[in-house]
Amino acid sequence: MKKLIIAALMIAVAVSAQAQVTLKVLNYQQADQAGYEEDVAIWERFQALNPDITLEMEVLFNDPYHEKLQAYAAAGTLPDVFYVWPGARSAVIHEKKLAKDLGKLLGPDYLKDFTGAATNPRNQLGGYLVQLPQSFTYTSVMYVNVKLLKDNGFAIPKTYADLKKMVPKLKAKGIAVMMLPNKDGWPGQSCLFSTVAGRIAGDKFFDDVLAGKAKFTDREFVNALKVVESLYKDGIIQRSDNSIGYGEGPGLFASGKAAIFLDGDWRTGAYITDKASGKALIDPKAQASDFALLPIVALPGEKYPGVNSAVAGTGWAVSGSIPAGSAKEEAAARLIKYLYSEEVQAIRYSTGAYVPTRIGVKAELEPLPAMLPGFYAANPKTSYVIDGVLDPAVYNVINDGLVAIGNGTKSATVVAKEVQAAFEAWKATKK
Amino acid sequence: MKTEANGRIRARGLLGSALAKAAAYLVMGTFTVMTLYPLFWLTMNSFKTTREFQVNMLGLPMDPTLENFKMAWKFGEFGKLFPNSFIYTIGATAGVIALSVLAGFAFAKIPRRVTKWIYGSFVVGILLTINTLMIPLFIEVTILGIYNTRLAVLLVYVGAGLPIGIYLSTEYIRGIPTALVESARIDGAGYLTIFRRIILPMATPVATTLAILQICSTWNEFALINILVSKTELKSLPLGIFKFSSSLSTDYGKQFAALVIGMAPMLLFYVAFRKQITRGVAAGAVKG
Repeated sequence: MKKLIIAALMIAVAVSAQAQVTLKVLNYQQADQAGYEEDVAIWERFQALNPDITLEMEVLFNDPYHEKLQAYAAAGTLPDVFYVWPGARSAVIHEKKLAKDLGKLLGPDYLKDFTGAATNPRNQLGGYLVQLPQSFTYTSVMYVNVKLLKDNGFAIPKTYADLKKMVPKLKAKGIAVMMLPNKDGWPGQSCLFSTVAGRIAGDKFFDDVLAGKAKFTDREFVNALKVVESLYKDGIIQRSDNSIGYGEGPGLFASGKAAIFLDGDWRTGAYITDKASGKALIDPKAQASDFALLPIVALPGEKYPGVNSAVAGTGWAVSGSIPAGSAKEEAAARLIKYLYSEEVQAIRYSTGAYVPTRIGVKAELEPLPAMLPGFYAANPKTSYVIDGVLDPAVYNVINDGLVAIGNGTKSATVVAKEVQAAFEAWKATKK
Repeated sequence: MKTEANGRIRARGLLGSALAKAAAYLVMGTFTVMTLYPLFWLTMNSFKTTREFQVNMLGLPMDPTLENFKMAWKFGEFGKLFPNSFIYTIGATAGVIALSVLAGFAFAKIPRRVTKWIYGSFVVGILLTINTLMIPLFIEVTILGIYNTRLAVLLVYVGAGLPIGIYLSTEYIRGIPTALVESARIDGAGYLTIFRRIILPMATPVATTLAILQICSTWNEFALINILVSKTELKSLPLGIFKFSSSLSTDYGKQFAALVIGMAPMLLFYVAFRKQITRGVAAGAVKG
């Protein structure tokens, strides 16, 4: 009898050992972002719900994440599940097709619960569903202090002329019409110029440039730069904004230093109540009654009115080296489905991380993040985010050029010439 | 008449020296403020809530809180990372000093035909940047089967510290009179005895310099350890701090607290050993 029990125990141990799957996960987590604790709990819950899967997790963030992913890819030792960008930031994964096609792994029946933009393979550099974007990010949003405008006798602006009209009165009171903190260079391109160029030059212009059919010195692109030039010349954006760091914007806007604040949709997270102090930069009640999220106003010379720069967000990918039909593949798919489940997406949504691409996710939100779905619905037409389609060697010149235009040290024409030169130099390296 | 002229010259000299002193103090004071103010600003803001920081970036905290430190310690898992930082720093420093001084002795005092080639092959490492080595090193430790081990980290840290270590040690030991070594040889001493009894005691200044360089660089090293380990149990402090650094960060309080936690040990190290550090740097700056 004793021998029988021991044998049965040994078989049970052997079977359970066989069924146990270890998944290596390279997680992208930022400890000082709202929702960090909730994110940690999400992973712990998966582990508790799936005792047959052991998660071996490595957590990195920012450049170190990308460097490590690059090293893993070079050594052929990619983790089983990892975090991927839809574009150039994760180029090695896309170009070498190192991840499984989630379209096939998850199947159309599962993917029907996600927005078309998220499941469209064309929105990813690899041309297939390398990762499933958790969000679709709008990079140019006007955060409008409606009460401040009203108190000064202004309605919500709809056109460039409306903004221009506000300048004398607000300037006299020391209030900026539209604040664009651009000390870091990229906000000018990502949060303003991508939309301006999308409306004046259009996505096709960028496609044509990349195909060698157009040049940055062409009228469309120069005109787009001229709009930025006039925003500064007319005093709508102050030249001193180029000395405001990106991190300073939300606080300055909350303290009434500007009527409008230009930033990406992700910045709603800055206004969520701080757990440590129980306070928010803008009181939630005031957020609801006195503030609005709006697209950039109609601009002079628009060919494509109403478009706003947006880009597919980041998401999870599964290593292409996992054998098809294996227990590991099943475990990875289970993890992916859990991470994109309504329950998990609702948590991420409620912490202000993003608005999920999963349809029908509901969460209790503070007023500003709660305005985002309405913003998306009202502004369905999107354009490229420039740093998503051009190489850093080119878009960094655009970023610097926009700062110079803001400072009044370079003209639109000069910047356009510099961008074209940078593009040609970059193209030469690709031959 | 002559006395009057001398007095005028002396007065002018005193005025000139006072002005020069004032200028020197002004320049040094400016640099001191430039160095200390960011540290003060960071420490001060680490006691503010994120909300308070966003509306009061320059003022003193109105309602100081330790919550940022508690949360940063927990989220950064600093309790696990601190011991590793000590292990890597002490291990790598000891390894680099021991091997550099030994190699320096051999290169400087036991010349052979191949010495200059071997010496050159080490010293050329000074010119290599960490970024060029990251992926090859990752592949190497993976093939050797030591990825995710403390051994790999220590081996790489010691290897990375050797080029500058060997260069400084060799140049320093070259300055020690060769006659001392030759006399000892005539008296029948072996090279190991000569090293232990003569070279090592005389090489203390360069060893101190190496210790200072190695301690600072290993304690703050980030790029290599990021590549060499994935388990939190093996990571060091800079990896924990980096979890808090982003231009898109929204929780500045925790970010600043994490930076203060990371900065504090090095500041304490400097305060405790400032005299030795100053002496060591000065000793390393001149050949022995």
